[in-house]
Amino acid sequence: MSEKEPIIQINNVHKRFHTLRGTVHALRGVSLDIMPGEVVVVVGPSGSGKSTLLRSINRLETIDGGSITVDGIPLKGARNINKIRAEVGMVFQQFNLFPDRSALGNIMLAQRVVRRRRKGEAEAKAQELLAKVGIPEKADTYPGQLSGGQQQRVAIARALAMDPKIMLFDEPTSALDPEMIKEVLDVMLALAKDGMTMVVVTHEMGFARAAADRAVFMDEGQIVEIDKPDVIFSSPSHERTQRFLDKIL
Amino acid sequence: MDERARQALDLPPLPDNDNEGITPVGPYERFIGWAAGLPWWAIILGIVVVVVGYSMLTSEAYRRVIRQLTDNPQVSTDDLFFAVLLVGDKETTTGMLARADSVETVIQQLIEEVDPAEADDFGILVSETQTEITLRTDDGRTITIPKRDIVDEKRTETPDAIQVEVTYFVDTEIVTGTVTDRAGDTLTIRTVDEVSETFAVSRVLSRDEQGELVTIQREGEIITGTLDTLNNTSIKIRVPGADELREIRRNEIVELNLPTLTLAVHDPGQERPVNPGEEVRVAYINGADLTNVLKELNRLDTVDVPLFSVPGEAQVALVGYDSLDDALEATSQGEVDALLYLDDGPERLAVDEWVTAHPDANMSVVLLRECETGCQVMLKLEDDAITGRIAAEDAEAITVVTTEAVTIEVDKDRILEERRMEPGTCALNNLRGCNAGIFLTLTVTFRAYALALIIGLMFGILRVQTNPVLYAVSTLYVEVIRGIPLLVILLYAGFVISPELRDGLMIFDLQWLGDSMPDVVIRLPKINLNDEWEAVLGLSFGYGAFIAEIFRAGIQSIGRGQMEAARSLGMSYPQAMRHVVLPQAIRVVLPPLGNDFIAMLKDSALISVLALPDLLQLGRLYVSRTFRALEGYNTVAVLYLVMTIFLSMMVRIIERRARLPQ
Repeated sequence: MSEKEPIIQINNVHKRFHTLRGTVHALRGVSLDIMPGEVVVVVGPSGSGKSTLLRSINRLETIDGGSITVDGIPLKGARNINKIRAEVGMVFQQFNLFPDRSALGNIMLAQRVVRRRRKGEAEAKAQELLAKVGIPEKADTYPGQLSGGQQQRVAIARALAMDPKIMLFDEPTSALDPEMIKEVLDVMLALAKDGMTMVVVTHEMGFARAAADRAVFMDEGQIVEIDKPDVIFSSPSHERTQRFLDKIL
Repeated sequence: MDERARQALDLPPLPDNDNEGITPVGPYERFIGWAAGLPWWAIILGIVVVVVGYSMLTSEAYRRVIRQLTDNPQVSTDDLFFAVLLVGDKETTTGMLARADSVETVIQQLIEEVDPAEADDFGILVSETQTEITLRTDDGRTITIPKRDIVDEKRTETPDAIQVEVTYFVDTEIVTGTVTDRAGDTLTIRTVDEVSETFAVSRVLSRDEQGELVTIQREGEIITGTLDTLNNTSIKIRVPGADELREIRRNEIVELNLPTLTLAVHDPGQERPVNPGEEVRVAYINGADLTNVLKELNRLDTVDVPLFSVPGEAQVALVGYDSLDDALEATSQGEVDALLYLDDGPERLAVDEWVTAHPDANMSVVLLRECETGCQVMLKLEDDAITGRIAAEDAEAITVVTTEAVTIEVDKDRILEERRMEPGTCALNNLRGCNAGIFLTLTVTFRAYALALIIGLMFGILRVQTNPVLYAVSTLYVEVIRGIPLLVILLYAGFVISPELRDGLMIFDLQWLGDSMPDVVIRLPKINLNDEWEAVLGLSFGYGAFIAEIFRAGIQSIGRGQMEAARSLGMSYPQAMRHVVLPQAIRVVLPPLGNDFIAMLKDSALISVLALPDLLQLGRLYVSRTFRALEGYNTVAVLYLVMTIFLSMMVRIIERRARLPQ
């Protein structure tokens, strides 16, 4: 794939949720192209559809209209969705570590099951990644014995173990105590420096300024504004963006 | 572990790291904690030791209780098992096997179906069936050899016949009895059990000097009952109302009329060829109860005859005559091919005598056979003065061993076939006998639970599917089965499903829709379920529904995020289910699964409605025999209680081990 070709193409995507109270139109014609190696931060008020957009990229949510193409493969009707998912790592707000497996076991499982790596190979990879996220000594510890920040770092290592081309972060620091946020953000910064393509839903302005190439402001299922993070956070061109930033800063 | 799972596991609140606020634990909790800390092999070894020890102890204790209360000295552990042995010597013979069949083939088949043991004396026929081979030897003799008797066989094919040389066992003798010793090259078999009888002291005629032997006046008794086994030295009869078989020595019997079956054939018609679908006509006397005799044939009017050279079936048609004379006349005239005659009175040899007296009637008797089992017999014992060993004596009564045990020894290499009839008493040296009471309760429970787990897991997974068909099917199963009492399900398994599987047919009568509606017949694979498997099926299907609900709840208790995390890593749905969701769900459902296991152990008492000798059934039999309800049901209740307490302890240990580190 050439440098010019976007690795993620989101084109006029619509998503509706059908609930007992009626239909919620969560995404209303969202279009966004993300280039390889690019770090994109998505901000916006809750309910603006930023998480839905992120989850659509690896089809945890199916879309009702438009198209998403990841690494040249259209998601719609993709037979090898599991293959695409293995290429797209995802980190959740609630970590979603497997509580019945040690940190090492969490990182090894998908390598063994999906990548069919041998045990020794998977274990070496897991140890290497635990060292990369800064907690090599926690290999045999169970998630229940780890702090939130440590759990989130194991979750990042777990996603990285699949050698993804893209990493999706869904509010990775929102469930953490303030003193643990930094250790997770440091890992993410290092990842961005390594040239990983990242889509991050977050409200961490510091991280956005330091690492992001572009920031996307979403509201009511639409992209309101896309620009460099400095521009968006200092001098937004839209009044809606300004109001949002006034509230959180 | 998330909070929901911890609640489901019913664990006490987690202690803080600094150990504050720990509730004091009792010795039981400490013991559970200690046991849960042992390695797996130690736990499994412990379970095996406890189960084996408990089973042996309780069966012994149970028997002792019964012996104490019933004063029944018959129960002892040296009754290893009851066996039937066919003993014979080898002989080699050479003959021709031609490809032919005739009326004789069919009659031969009929005889052999009724009585395989005596078939070899009569055939002139030369053929081969699935079970035996009939040869015409070089010196003109024709012999039939059951295939199971054949030791060695050599064949040479020629265009119109096959030269066969066979080595086979001859002069087989049936030995029935209890095997008491199998050491070395011989087998010791007790063919007559020791029998003691109790008499009033006033009947004693004389005693010997040592005071060991006593002679007693005994009346000749008339016994009626169902013949169970018959051999050269004794007969065993099941007398109505008595639990145990009555064994009588033949030399004590004055009069014994055994129902006897005679089959005579019309000689000239014997070689007539029969094609598939054609009939061989056999006369019988109207009113004679041939049903029992022909029971082994399964069908009264049609016999499947697997012929060697003509594939297909020939039939035997039974033709009724009003009197024996008419039937004899018809047979000698060739109107029918053969005559079957059954009588248990003085006339039982009538056909044989008639044929001997009329050599010009063109008839010969090919089968003359006394009933060997299953028929009603009446016998009279001789009035006698018997001498026997004194077993016990008090002021009013004297117990005498009237029949001494008889044992014989058989060379093991002469044994042709060994059929175990009944396993005898449960003991450490005879585990085959451990098939009733606690053992049956436990084996049925374990098998049914294993099956119920499979059914439950399958339907539990189906219950969380979004596919409407899978969801509907599993919900239907769960709701229907949960809505029917387990007892009714067991009766269904035993009296509806099992007979239908046995016949391989399911028939629905649709007459209520209109007179012309034909019956709907569904053919099923023929499966012969024994009572034990009926119970296992009934219990497992009944419990499968509950276990499916437990698994469904367990799967749903695992947060959606787990499935999403697994899927986002590229796992397929089945992979995520197997590697991520189910292992966690199983930890959550262990306690309710353990509870269901204990509940099933208790509900297994319901299988006594299928006439299975489980723990409860034995207790009930004991109570009905002795009217000691308190002792009987106490024993049953305590045995169940000990089992459930042990099992609930095991469940706790497993739960504790499944706990995740916090």
